[in-house]
Amino acid sequence: MLEFIIQNNVMCHAVEAMLFASIGCAILSVLITQMNISSIGFTMSHAAFAGGAAGVFFGFPMLLSAVVTSLATALVMGPLSYRTRMHTDTTLGVLFGTMMALAIFFIALMQSEGRGFDAASLLYGNVISLYREEIYALVVIACSIILLIVIFGKEISAITFHRKMAEISGIRVAPVYYLFLFLIAVNVAFCLPIVGGLLLYVWLVTPAAIVYQFCPTIRQMFLAAPAVAGCISIFGAVAGIVWSLPVGPLTAVLFSLVFVLAVAISPKRKVCRQIY
Amino acid sequence: MTGTDSPPCIDLKDIWTTYEGAAYPVIKGVSLRIAAGEFVVVGGPNGAGKTTLLEAICGLLPLVKGSITVCGREIPKEKIGILCDVGYVIQNFDFHPFTPYTVLDVVRMGRYGRIGWFSRESQEDLDAAMEALRLLRIDHLRDELIGTLSGGQQQKALIAHNLAKKPSVLLLDEPFSNLDVMTRDEVSSLLCDICESGVPVVMVSHAFDSLPRRDIRVVVMQKGKLVLNTTSQAGDVADIIRSAPVAG
Ligand SMILES: Nc1ncnc2c1ncn2[C@@H]1O[C@H](COP(=O)(O)OP(=O)(O)O)[C@@H](O)[C@H]1O
Ligand SMILES: [Mg+2]
Repeated sequence: MLEFIIQNNVMCHAVEAMLFASIGCAILSVLITQMNISSIGFTMSHAAFAGGAAGVFFGFPMLLSAVVTSLATALVMGPLSYRTRMHTDTTLGVLFGTMMALAIFFIALMQSEGRGFDAASLLYGNVISLYREEIYALVVIACSIILLIVIFGKEISAITFHRKMAEISGIRVAPVYYLFLFLIAVNVAFCLPIVGGLLLYVWLVTPAAIVYQFCPTIRQMFLAAPAVAGCISIFGAVAGIVWSLPVGPLTAVLFSLVFVLAVAISPKRKVCRQIY
Repeated sequence: MTGTDSPPCIDLKDIWTTYEGAAYPVIKGVSLRIAAGEFVVVGGPNGAGKTTLLEAICGLLPLVKGSITVCGREIPKEKIGILCDVGYVIQNFDFHPFTPYTVLDVVRMGRYGRIGWFSRESQEDLDAAMEALRLLRIDHLRDELIGTLSGGQQQKALIAHNLAKKPSVLLLDEPFSNLDVMTRDEVSSLLCDICESGVPVVMVSHAFDSLPRRDIRVVVMQKGKLVLNTTSQAGDVADIIRSAPVAG
């Protein structure tokens, strides 16, 4: 898609994958952090990881098995976490551990069978392994997320502000909640081959955490998060390929560096020392 | 103004409600009829079920037994319709200073339910929000972040959020607990005006010094039961609630 700017084929592929993956993830990260559903977010991303690993091991299409497990997690845990908060966090914690264990189990098996390459790309992702169609799918997902945020803008803002007050104002909260769990599940599964199961969660939290330091309103966060995540991801992809570094981990580290910098210069941490 | 001559706006018939996972019902057989233009004060000790009663009236809780009708609509069938029509100022809120919404944003949200899924906010919606801000005298705060306001100012913003809705019934859960004495009087006279316009106001409160000077229905809850239901004047409410019979 971006061949007209980037002539180098490999580079173009990597940049496209990282850019479109990060746009979808960054917008969802604003929702995940503002709706306080990060525990279900990371459980779902690790469910996709475990599903992907099992899929690769048994020779199923990785994408399909990742989508299925992450959707199944959303279906099972969604209703639980929608109602009560406290004890579901514990349940999600246990589930998260189980998913991680399953993923590691299959990856270790693959390594012992001499399929180390498959295992490594599941762990850390592989930006240039994608088919063209998978990149188109990422574009479609990112556009759907943007479209749904625009269509349900007022419902989302009310729900992220205060779920109970949104319900009292007459908004049907549950359909919106499940719609976004569904989007997270699909998005997570499609991003898995690019950034890898271990790092997926960086993309689903850090963009919102970075822009939160500077944006006073949610509208600004929704605009700034994909912009910032896109820039970091493009830079990571280019730098990774130019210097032959692993793109996924490099970009994840870049995200964290930008986050640290953002916190350091955040206006939200400034204290007014002037008394008069 | 006893609610017997005009059809009741709120009609509770022997309601029993519970919370999900609770072992026993929290509200046990409460019947109550509230007519248009009534001002109701709900009293009773902590844990008596006052908040639960308000939540049941807007259909937020499962009804084990009995029936609830609000403005001619029945719960749970027409729950969303009722919620779009009822103002309910909740008791516990605590907004983080960096909550990314301004006071105006929050007040506008009051109307989002009744605007409906695919429609945009109209000028009328914005005007209603601005009017609510003016009524509570917080229009100068409209661009401040909600979490940076004082507890009392946040409370006013939440009342404005519900007034923007132009509700047909107004429920308030301890709305005075964060307000200073002067502001209580202001809010109280505002509630009185709303009530005179025909909207029944049901208020849970422990602050009896700033009640409007008009007929007030006093309802006392104890251990999930309604132990007193009488009409009185503002000055007598405190004494009536103190001397309410004890539930068995
Ligand atoms: N979410 C809940 N789950 C289970 N029980 C609850 C819940 N909220 C309140 N209760 C119980 O319901 C009773 C009434 O509570 P509430 O209506 O909040 O009292 P108050 O009159 O102080 O407003 C209390 O005994 C409380 O323990
Ligand atoms: Mg209460």
